[in-house]
Amino acid sequence: MIRRLIRIASAFFRSALQEEFAYRGDLLGNVIRSVLNLATAIGGVAVIFSHTETLGGWTLGQTLSLLGIFVFVNGFVGMFMSPSLNRVVEEVREGTFDYVLMKPVPALFLASARRFVVWHVSDIVLGAIVLGVALVGLEVRASGWGMLLFVALLVCGVAIVYAIWLALTTLVFWFVRVANVTMIFNLFFQTGRYPIEVYPFWLRQLLTFVFPVAFVTTVPAQAVTGRDPSWLVWIAPVIAVVAVLVATRFWRFGLSRYTSASS
Amino acid sequence: MRSRTLAGFAALLRAELADLFQYRIEMFLYGLWQVVNPIIYLVIWSTVVGGGTIAGYARDDFILYYLVFMVVSHLTLAIEVYTMAPSIQTGRLSPHLLRPLHPFWRAGALNISYKAVNLMFLVPIWVGLALILRPAFSPDWLGLALFLPSMVMAALISFLIGSCFAMLAFWTTRSMSFWDIWMSLTLLLGGQVAPVAVLPGFLQQAAVVLPMRYTVGFPIEVALGRVQGAELAAGLAIQAGWTVAAAAAFVVIWRTGVKRYAAVGA
Repeated sequence: MIRRLIRIASAFFRSALQEEFAYRGDLLGNVIRSVLNLATAIGGVAVIFSHTETLGGWTLGQTLSLLGIFVFVNGFVGMFMSPSLNRVVEEVREGTFDYVLMKPVPALFLASARRFVVWHVSDIVLGAIVLGVALVGLEVRASGWGMLLFVALLVCGVAIVYAIWLALTTLVFWFVRVANVTMIFNLFFQTGRYPIEVYPFWLRQLLTFVFPVAFVTTVPAQAVTGRDPSWLVWIAPVIAVVAVLVATRFWRFGLSRYTSASS
Repeated sequence: MRSRTLAGFAALLRAELADLFQYRIEMFLYGLWQVVNPIIYLVIWSTVVGGGTIAGYARDDFILYYLVFMVVSHLTLAIEVYTMAPSIQTGRLSPHLLRPLHPFWRAGALNISYKAVNLMFLVPIWVGLALILRPAFSPDWLGLALFLPSMVMAALISFLIGSCFAMLAFWTTRSMSFWDIWMSLTLLLGGQVAPVAVLPGFLQQAAVVLPMRYTVGFPIEVALGRVQGAELAAGLAIQAGWTVAAAAAFVVIWRTGVKRYAAVGA
């Protein structure tokens, strides 16, 4: 079963790749867009640090590492998550989601791994480069253990992001016009551009336990930049597992309310 | 003729208002976008400035700036890339070309209705935040008087430029990419990441000349009395200049674009 799903997903991915290369001009435009977006983001951080040495206790290099992680995750979401899940929202509204349910594979699989937007790979690469350059500048001597921890935390962060996306998408079964999940997601995700320590207490709690952006950028960045990792490092896996379980259950509950859109 | 156009515009406005009013929850979520981003920078700058001042901005000034920013960025928002561009791509523009009213008016009606419906949610949020944060404020009467014209020009520039980007859909299917670039430049140079006065040298010089500041940052600076005398006059002149330039670009792009328009499925 799992092998079959992987085969299907990779077939979808190949077709996305072919589609992307059919529009090479757009590809170039999108890469330019990624570079410019990144340049203005770095510009923003530079403007802030032209007036201060540290931000919430984070140095320029540490904040740039965090920005790199943010851009990386953002690209990952744009490539692997938002295309499929946004499609679900469209289909539920138009009633064509029926066809997804009729396919002989789990609906959650088709909802999550059907479409890919390949050019977002430029954000993934750029994010990794920013992180790498920032780390070299910081002269952090990452131990093998530290890198392993970082990768594990990043995986947890991505899992949490998936859970949030899935939960937001599921809302479409109640509110048909939740057209733009991307926008709602970004609304909160934007806060992850800067370390969580910057925000006032109540907002920090909100971004840690309700809409856990803290685990997506701040916590992995703590691990990799050699800052003292907070206790959040140890509960990240727990939060990730709980978030994914809750989101998939919510999805099933929402799905059971789906009544198609015949009118 | 003119009164017929206005009557048509009023009718479109009523229709769009009624339509958008159905989607209050969605509107509310979009509206929140206008609040969250300024809050991020409000928080950052109040942390950075501490008890001192940066380019004449003390902590309360930053708070005030970003509170006004929330209002101004909502009122000057351009949504045309989300409304006009898809209708060009899908061919839904066609019926509107047959109407005895330029499609410009419908886009305008949609823009104004969107802002009006969202005000319903945003005003209580603004008032609540202002009451919680309570920044000190000493009014600058000339600035307050000039705020309205500057705001209207900002909204116009924003709408016209937004429409120009949307009309790129006549040529390319991905006008959104170009809009994204524009928006990220506006973020940096328009006064969101920091008030223009706080930007370092060369960025500040670029911001003063380029149009981004005049779509959101400048009216705020005017209202708060941050620009005075010759600087104020020059700013208003540049803003008026960009309004005219944006209108000219709109007309040119519309005329050449609509000739190329080959509606899909129409």
